[in-house]
Amino acid sequence: MDKDVILKFDNVYFTYDEETQDGIEPHWAVSGVSLDVHKGDFIAVLGHNGSGKSTLSKLSNAILIPDKGQVSVNGIPTTDEEQTMTIRQHVGMVFQNPDNQIVATVVEEDVAFGPENLGLAPEEIRKRVDDALKAVGMYDFREMEPHKLSGGQKQRIAIAGIIAMQPECIVLDESTAMLDPKGRKEVMSTIKSLHDDLGMAVVFITHNMDEAVMADKVVVMEKGKILLSGTPREVFMNVDEIRRVGLDVPQSTLLSMRLGLKDEVLTPVECAEAIINDWK
Amino acid sequence: MSNISIGQFFPGNSIIHRLDPRMKLVLTFIYIIVIFLCKNFYALGVMVLSLFVIVLVSKIPLKIIAKSIKPILIIIIFTAILNVFYVDKGNMLFEWHFLKVTTGGIYTAVFMIVRITALVVASSMLTYTTSPTLITDGIEQLLSPLKFMKNSVHTIAMMMTIALRFIPTLVDEFEKITNAQKARGADLETGTLLERAKALIPVLVPLFITSFRRAYELAFAMECRCYHGAEGRTRMKVMKYSKLDVFASLFILISTGGVVALNILFPHLI
Repeated sequence: MDKDVILKFDNVYFTYDEETQDGIEPHWAVSGVSLDVHKGDFIAVLGHNGSGKSTLSKLSNAILIPDKGQVSVNGIPTTDEEQTMTIRQHVGMVFQNPDNQIVATVVEEDVAFGPENLGLAPEEIRKRVDDALKAVGMYDFREMEPHKLSGGQKQRIAIAGIIAMQPECIVLDESTAMLDPKGRKEVMSTIKSLHDDLGMAVVFITHNMDEAVMADKVVVMEKGKILLSGTPREVFMNVDEIRRVGLDVPQSTLLSMRLGLKDEVLTPVECAEAIINDWK
Repeated sequence: MSNISIGQFFPGNSIIHRLDPRMKLVLTFIYIIVIFLCKNFYALGVMVLSLFVIVLVSKIPLKIIAKSIKPILIIIIFTAILNVFYVDKGNMLFEWHFLKVTTGGIYTAVFMIVRITALVVASSMLTYTTSPTLITDGIEQLLSPLKFMKNSVHTIAMMMTIALRFIPTLVDEFEKITNAQKARGADLETGTLLERAKALIPVLVPLFITSFRRAYELAFAMECRCYHGAEGRTRMKVMKYSKLDVFASLFILISTGGVVALNILFPHLI
């Protein structure tokens, strides 16, 4: 086995159907997905509603157990019930609505919730909470009540709550979807710094193409299957394919396409450069 | 509504605020019992005096404390009136048909007023100076030696914490839904009481549904953070008794001693 693989999906199938009748193929929410997440990966998972991307995230830390195939975290299969806590400590998850993830009435106590569940010593918890709050830039807010914070700040608290458990991989399930543009920016730069500075593997699920461009690898899901995967550049060149499954390509890519520029463009800066080059 | 504060906690840094919540819970409990043991005005006077000292030290404005008595004002008045007419002792002051007012009745009424007021102020001092989280934690810790019910104590404490945490969220949500229904022409402000209560149904139903959804998501999020009940769980903030707690207990102990002595010295109310 590859040593660097943290999270491994091996031909995974999952259905929400209660009863599966013989002979009739159930409706697979996730259907034959294989995906490896290595140490320090930064993966974006794209797909419209019902494409199975949220199910995929819940399969990653034993919230859901695959019907067929196997998900393993550091070589431990998620079916191993004795190890569920270890798996959840290694793969942390942040959800969409920050309000529904915060447990305590004080910021620092909420961040401490995870480490407390792990049964760590009080001094160790204190240290981890401070480090986590500093990592997301919310240390000054540690004694505030969470409901007095903005959406972006609350989501950063939720992220701090996860990184205080010191996971190797963090999965964000549309964690920016409910935020305003400012909150989105805050959270995205927090995620980026987790990856760049702390070397954490990040899997983030999103609708937003401009966020997906920041990833090292993009996976496009459709009907429970992986449709496209590769670097953002490789994936977003398949404009027709991506639009067929109801997704957009980044606006900069689209603009340069329409202008008939040959350069492969992903970001606004690249777009501007391409236009200038073309004009010359 | 993001300015809503939970419970009636009045943040501060006084000696009373800094006492260990467990100690505060126990001492308040003892104080209330001793208040009931007072047999005469001298004993009650000692308790009122000590309460007065506590209030002064806590630096909670007297106005706020007066507010805590307001909701039970009717009960106080009612008890006082009942006592005035029921107790038939001492000199007769006034008589009209079956209504009799005696000096003994007046004394008892005053005694009851002071006793109930002291009781309410004492218990409010606990909630004013201790955050709801600390109170729940305190209760959890105090009851934790009861091994056989350790898990249920933890569960109840966790439920209380989550309930407190979601009060502002739900208040927000309630406002949002109310506005949404008003925008659709719902009339929540006019009509009889029954009509207004009925008009609340379209607000409460969505509120309930979203609460269930929230609960479901929160449960997921808690599981993802390795929550598995009380077993093997530690706390970041460990409660420690300090010198202050010793002083506080001595203070209550001395007051109690005073009450007992005065009870023996003066066996009658007056």
